[in-house]
Amino acid sequence: MKKALIASVALVALFPLGAAAQERTLTISVYAFAQDDYKTIVYDPFEAKCGCKLVVETGNSVERLAKMEANKANPVVDLAAVSMADGLAASRAGLIDKIDTSKLENFSRLYDVAKDPNGDGMSVGYTFYATSIAYRSDKMKIESWADLLKPEYVGHVAFPNVTTNQGPPALYMLGLALGKDTPDLKAPIEALGEKKDEIVTFYEKSSQLVQLMQQEEIWAAPIGRFSWAGFTKLDLPVAWATPKEGQTGGMNVLVMTKGSKNQDLALQFMDFWLSTDVQTKLAEKLIDSPANKEVKVSDKVANNITYGEDTAKNLKLIPSAAALDNRNGWLKEWNEKVGQ
Amino acid sequence: MFQNRAEALALALPAAIFAAVVFLLPVAILLSEGFRSDGAWTLAAYTDFFSQTLNRTVFFRTFRLGLEVTAVSAIIGYAAAFAIVNLPPKGKGRMIGLVTLPLMISPVARTYAWIVILGRTGIVNEAITGLGLSAEPLRLLFTETAVFIGLLQLFLPLMILSLISALENMPKDAIPAARVLGANWFQVFRKVILPLTREGLVVGGTLVFTGSLTAYITPAILGGSKVLMLETLMYQQVSVANNFVSASVIAFILIVMSFAANILLKRLATARNRR
Repeated sequence: MKKALIASVALVALFPLGAAAQERTLTISVYAFAQDDYKTIVYDPFEAKCGCKLVVETGNSVERLAKMEANKANPVVDLAAVSMADGLAASRAGLIDKIDTSKLENFSRLYDVAKDPNGDGMSVGYTFYATSIAYRSDKMKIESWADLLKPEYVGHVAFPNVTTNQGPPALYMLGLALGKDTPDLKAPIEALGEKKDEIVTFYEKSSQLVQLMQQEEIWAAPIGRFSWAGFTKLDLPVAWATPKEGQTGGMNVLVMTKGSKNQDLALQFMDFWLSTDVQTKLAEKLIDSPANKEVKVSDKVANNITYGEDTAKNLKLIPSAAALDNRNGWLKEWNEKVGQ
Repeated sequence: MFQNRAEALALALPAAIFAAVVFLLPVAILLSEGFRSDGAWTLAAYTDFFSQTLNRTVFFRTFRLGLEVTAVSAIIGYAAAFAIVNLPPKGKGRMIGLVTLPLMISPVARTYAWIVILGRTGIVNEAITGLGLSAEPLRLLFTETAVFIGLLQLFLPLMILSLISALENMPKDAIPAARVLGANWFQVFRKVILPLTREGLVVGGTLVFTGSLTAYITPAILGGSKVLMLETLMYQQVSVANNFVSASVIAFILIVMSFAANILLKRLATARNRR
């Protein structure tokens, strides 16, 4: 009887605590990508740690940003993972707040490029990737981005559409190779337009490329490192190019919604995501290349992701402002020269 | 069947309200976007859309491919339907089963199969190079031809099935009677079969034409951005450019084209009837 009484008193005493903890909900908005793994590596452990509830919204970044904009007065989402350029777009639209990095224990462990990618203190990089050319090393030799347009190769090339994440960076590198690297990407788009009939396709989904490579439909394609693993499994000699102009790529960042009532929780979550432990697990599953420089992975894993300080430092990324200011212009130019 | 109209209307009301709230209203709101600018009604979005060469090219390409697919599927469809209708019952059942089979397979799977078949190392190209018709494999993938083949395969069953049911409803003696009276096969088709099966042709033609206009997966996979169609352009406008006005313009054009096709085909059918 006494035991039962103590137990019930304890239960009653615990109840309000439990209820209070249950009330806290953190809503995050992320890419609809590898969500099962994210759940086991990031979401579930964080929920257990904070005693709060995590609501996950997914979608591509355009529609998620549009949603944030629509809910500006009464934000639903507390934290979002978006591309570097979209981070700046959100900042310009007044949708996000400055991040108090002093509250992030893992901030000092980030590569310098990830600490403040847009230079406005509004975002922190959580992963980045290199973009270069996957090519058939028995059929061709790629030493420059411009080699893709050589007459003997161009009929075997798939180039990313300007509308994909890989499109503008690849065009930017092509521009560098052609010696005309203006932010409007006019020269590379024009050069591509001249060869548009010969190029196999302007791809929109990189998942399609492995099959095209296997069918020998294509010999080369600029791709992001995150889709590289599929090519290594082919029974064909496919190599990752290191062109003399360098490699390009992209970075994804975490941002915090302005007016969110859970900024403290959002910061905790951000810190958790950036921790060496979580970043290592995400890297080992080949989901995200780590932005945390203390992450150590095996050679096999390193080979399939974008890894290491040198790689991080040498990526030629398009500055977000240039991307935002020129995005519509690129699409227009592309549709005129390549699209028809 | 009902004592008064009110009863009938009352029964239809729940379904009508449902359709209005979850379909008509959202569509109306979506489409009205294309006619509004700064709070005023305007056609600016439409003139803007058609002022761009790319959009015009895509519009005419979509229209032309829709017509081509409909015409070719009607020709193949009549031949196939005629052959199937004249089979003994058991064989007919089997053939209809075969025609419907592709409809049960996801368009994604079917379209991916075409990537293998039409590829540089696919059977079509192997046959072409094997027969010495061309020294080099032909570029078939990511061309209009590939989109045409994909759409034709996708929608041909709908045409065949519509024509089968139309042919089955035709009086059995009509063709022999025409033959006895001295009509050749071409005349039999033009003067007997075609007028008597026009409804099937209208239904099949509408399904195939509107299907070709609005199919997304096939042009996206087999044509890619080199062969943009209205629907792939619409996707691009929404998911990349975040331009819902332009997307709503395209949606409106597609709806108008679908209705126009249906009305036009019906007109053609009745006009022939009156003659």
